[in-house]
Amino acid sequence: MDSMVRNPDVKQRDAAQAVVVAVSSDAIFTPEVEQVHGATEPLRKGDAFSFMKAIQVVNERLLTLNSDETLLFDVILLSNDSEEKHSRIIASAKHYGLDIGRFCFCNKEDSIESLQSNNVKLFLSTDTNDVCKALQKGVPAALLYHQTDPHHQTEDQLKVVFSGDVIGSSEEMLHGLREQGFTETQLQGFKTAKGSVKEFAILMGEMRRRFGLEGSPLCTGLMTAWSSRDVCASALKTLRGWGLLVDEAFCLAGAPRSPILNLVRPHIICLDGLYHMEGFTAMS
Amino acid sequence: MWGIPKPQNAITIAVSSRVLFNMDKEQQIYEQKGMEDYLKYQIEHEMEPFAPGPAFPFVKALEAVNTRLRELYPESEELFDVVLMTNSHAHAGLRLINTINHHQLFIERFCMTGGNSPIGYLKAYHTNLYLSADPMKVREALEEGIAAATMFNPPEKRTEVSETQLRVAFDGDAVLFSDESERIFKAHGLDKFFEHEKTHENTLLDHGPLKGFLESLGKLQKKFYAKDQRLDCPIRTYLVTARSAASSGTRALKTLRSWGLETDEALFLAGAPKGPMLEKIRPHIFFDDQLFHVEGASQLGTVAAHVPYGVAQKLPQQKPAKENTKDFSAATK
Repeated sequence: MDSMVRNPDVKQRDAAQAVVVAVSSDAIFTPEVEQVHGATEPLRKGDAFSFMKAIQVVNERLLTLNSDETLLFDVILLSNDSEEKHSRIIASAKHYGLDIGRFCFCNKEDSIESLQSNNVKLFLSTDTNDVCKALQKGVPAALLYHQTDPHHQTEDQLKVVFSGDVIGSSEEMLHGLREQGFTETQLQGFKTAKGSVKEFAILMGEMRRRFGLEGSPLCTGLMTAWSSRDVCASALKTLRGWGLLVDEAFCLAGAPRSPILNLVRPHIICLDGLYHMEGFTAMS
Repeated sequence: MWGIPKPQNAITIAVSSRVLFNMDKEQQIYEQKGMEDYLKYQIEHEMEPFAPGPAFPFVKALEAVNTRLRELYPESEELFDVVLMTNSHAHAGLRLINTINHHQLFIERFCMTGGNSPIGYLKAYHTNLYLSADPMKVREALEEGIAAATMFNPPEKRTEVSETQLRVAFDGDAVLFSDESERIFKAHGLDKFFEHEKTHENTLLDHGPLKGFLESLGKLQKKFYAKDQRLDCPIRTYLVTARSAASSGTRALKTLRSWGLETDEALFLAGAPKGPMLEKIRPHIFFDDQLFHVEGASQLGTVAAHVPYGVAQKLPQQKPAKENTKDFSAATK
């Protein structure tokens, strides 16, 4: 059972046409160490703040181009917090002027069901474990990348990076992963990632095409972390077939991801659903 | 497929797409018609591989060295790793990958930055040498302490180079060494230069931007020597300097020696043109800080790369010579 509250300060989107994403409350507002009863001041900004601002820029630009645009981001804030915190969350969203369409308050156990029943295209979290667990349970999910340098976060352009390892993968690759020792649970995460990315990529492709090559508030990229260049090529072709021509592409062949990600500075990274990737040898 | 070495263990050579391949026609379209038409053209011609560019023979030779290294040291990650570093839009990506496949190059890592500067990525990959057609990017890389050089398309005549032995030739001043002596020459003329060099014969020269790269090559050479392959070593290095063997050359050799470095051959031309000598040596690449020498070498068929470092550079604004020199002592990996 969840409690879905509409945000009166934000114009409601047409959920059937919008890109509905659910963001964990802990990502938008920093969880408090101590719960102070009766506290009313706004919650502190969390790691996903620059993401929220970037989404707003995209929506605003889309509406500037076409005031009747329905292909907009529609954010649901997903909260497992206690009831006494609900009004404070809503007030904080208003305080910061965040473009949150709805607030979904539910128990942790009911989160998955809430996501599935609200046409959520992607569940976003800053916690890799949460993302992988959601994928393993069949919920489309992606990581909100925690940018370590607070002075270099991009707020005027939303960057979405797709996984070349997932999109360009083949059956043989799954088999290879099994041989490398990944469990069926982890592989389920990989399969969900592969199954759910198409819909989101198509939407991002459509949205990206609303803007020109340069000066776009939405930037898309492809990152192939451990597969070969041919897998990357396959991913580029597949994405193009889905209507998405990415702006940036990186093939790492097993090189550490963090230094590269710190330069790319994406907001959303579509993971492969597996856990530790550092130290992986590249495979074909 | 064997493992690709970790960036910090490998000797990473980053090449831009325009020096690895010949993209003259596409570059022209970009300059005359803009980004959209350029990318459209790339996509339309996706299945047509590019012809080799100036850095192509160099990269092929790197792979030949890797093959020999793997035979001798199958577990080692001390290998060359070539990364394609381009600020091209990823729309052109498939054509580049198709070309890599067509020429059977062993390039698995690439960055297509979609218009953003590649300089940060150079650092992220622990780049030891960056080759690009864009002098601005090369200057930026040098300022960040990364060995870099600008490459140009060589004229029609191209000297044939070995497919089994990598040959790299270096100028001395402002390439392996700092430009301090060149500054004397420029300011006070040849006589003063000789005088200065004689007086300071036993004073070591400072490091130049390519010193670290020579050091990396030397390290690999020693691995072949250790396995009794000195005579058959697939890496050969050359110093090709305008200094004279009789006088100013001594300081250069002493400096190299004190750094624990050596080149297989040292050619002191005493001011004679470098082109004919390079034609005999047949290096895959020759580094010089003076465009005059780069052009001279190129006209006689040698692939020459310009290191825009030191007082010899003609900058658009007259900056004082000191500003453009960077301390490269910490640059080696």
